Amino acid sequence: MKKYWRCFVCNDIHYGLKPPETCPTCLAKNAYVEISSEEAKIISGMARVDFNKEKFLQAIEKFTESNEFQVNPDKERVKMLLDGVFNNEQNQGLKYCPCRLITKDFEEDLKLVCPCNFLIHETYMEKGECWCGLFIRRDKNG
Amino acid sequence: MGKLIMFWARECPHCRNMMPLVDKLEQEIGIKLEKLEVWHNEDNADLMRSYRDILAPKCGGQLRTPTFFNTENNDVLCGEVEYERLKEWALDQNG
Repeated sequence: MKKYWRCFVCNDIHYGLKPPETCPTCLAKNAYVEISSEEAKIISGMARVDFNKEKFLQAIEKFTESNEFQVNPDKERVKMLLDGVFNNEQNQGLKYCPCRLITKDFEEDLKLVCPCNFLIHETYMEKGECWCGLFIRRDKNG
Repeated sequence: MGKLIMFWARECPHCRNMMPLVDKLEQEIGIKLEKLEVWHNEDNADLMRSYRDILAPKCGGQLRTPTFFNTENNDVLCGEVEYERLKEWALDQNG
């Protein structure tokens, strides 16, 4: 089961099965100690980080930079999808895919949070795009 | 023939692309699909979820849009398809 970990030097928070050997922020070695979800929530909430659509788009473009896929160059399509993603966040709490409905099983629905693990989608494997088409394989675009 | 439903979502590009094809289909073969938007209508969302055991196995294990569904025989067509494929599916429901 995944747990929360805190860097005792710089208070970085990590959620995972194991703590990182080296803190990615302060580079301290063997610096992580297990903490409660409540402590992690309080520390994570220290800095308020708002994401508007523009910032989210920048984040996913950055995310794709070193990957075999990219954000779809069809700007109209991307705009429609981001409208949906943000409407879903406002109405349902998380950035759920606008082309798949939540089941109300929280763990199952985490698979729908954008960006999802679309590399396993049959549409990505067969046609080179995630189910909604927000991400496409680079070679698909020419 | 049972009731034919199209589950769709307002910000789903596949659904947007399918809408004119569905309109054309309705005119061409004289059938009517009940179009139910699922991300902005909780009743429609609950209805789609109530068919999860039937729909999900045919749609990659999830409730994807658009999904075309015959409530009588539980036949499902999932995703954005060519007009001829949609028409073939709809005609099969008539038979």
